[in-house]
Amino acid sequence: MVKVRSFIIALVVMGIGIWAFIYFSQSEEKKVRKRLGLLSEWASKAQSETPLTMAQKTKKIGTLFAENCGLRVPIYSISGNFTRDEIISYAARGRLLFSELYLRFYDLTVSFPEEGTAKVSSTARLTGKLNVGENVDEIHELECVLKKIEKGWFFSYLEVVEVLKK
Amino acid sequence: MLLKRVVALEGEWVEFRDGKLLINTKELDEPYLHYPCNWNLSPRHVEVNCVYVAGDNRNMPMEDHYFGQTPIRRIMGVPLW
Repeated sequence: MVKVRSFIIALVVMGIGIWAFIYFSQSEEKKVRKRLGLLSEWASKAQSETPLTMAQKTKKIGTLFAENCGLRVPIYSISGNFTRDEIISYAARGRLLFSELYLRFYDLTVSFPEEGTAKVSSTARLTGKLNVGENVDEIHELECVLKKIEKGWFFSYLEVVEVLKK
Repeated sequence: MLLKRVVALEGEWVEFRDGKLLINTKELDEPYLHYPCNWNLSPRHVEVNCVYVAGDNRNMPMEDHYFGQTPIRRIMGVPLW
């Protein structure tokens, strides 16, 4: 009888452990996905955007990044480590080129190679209109690494993968 | 997802000269091309575990066409026709 009881308790403990692991890893994944959702929201720009909204959104973009973040965007010849302020500056200058801009992420896959690190692969679609009137519709493969710092997830590496190299 | 034709394999040299595709300096017969092309691209070597792909519609400026070298692991399948 004691053996049966011990076995049941062990089963219950194991079940709780498995449930807790799944619950917490899912909840971390949700947090990571939310960061990409915010990046999409704050990078996007409506035609009617006021200078105040623009300044707020640009500042908010900075809050998504770690104090130092690696960027590799071969198509725009960007490569290296950048501070949060430098990223804000890049984001501001980039958004200024557009009268309208939308950034969307598709096919997101999130993995946690180690504690406190999330790796995200996704397809990013950038659509919009440049100030000079030209329409933009670009699709890129994106690889990101986010680090968990004080309960928050921050982009620490972002790479636009060059799928085809001429 | 992109639909492209594999035109060169690893180790081969790829070049466009006046719209003609040259593999290892020899012009490739491409009966599937239906539009004129005037691309020029200096020779480049296809790296290990890579292939070189290009689309069949090459009547736009070269800069506007997605083509080039890509790792074999990125190939997802072939068209069913």
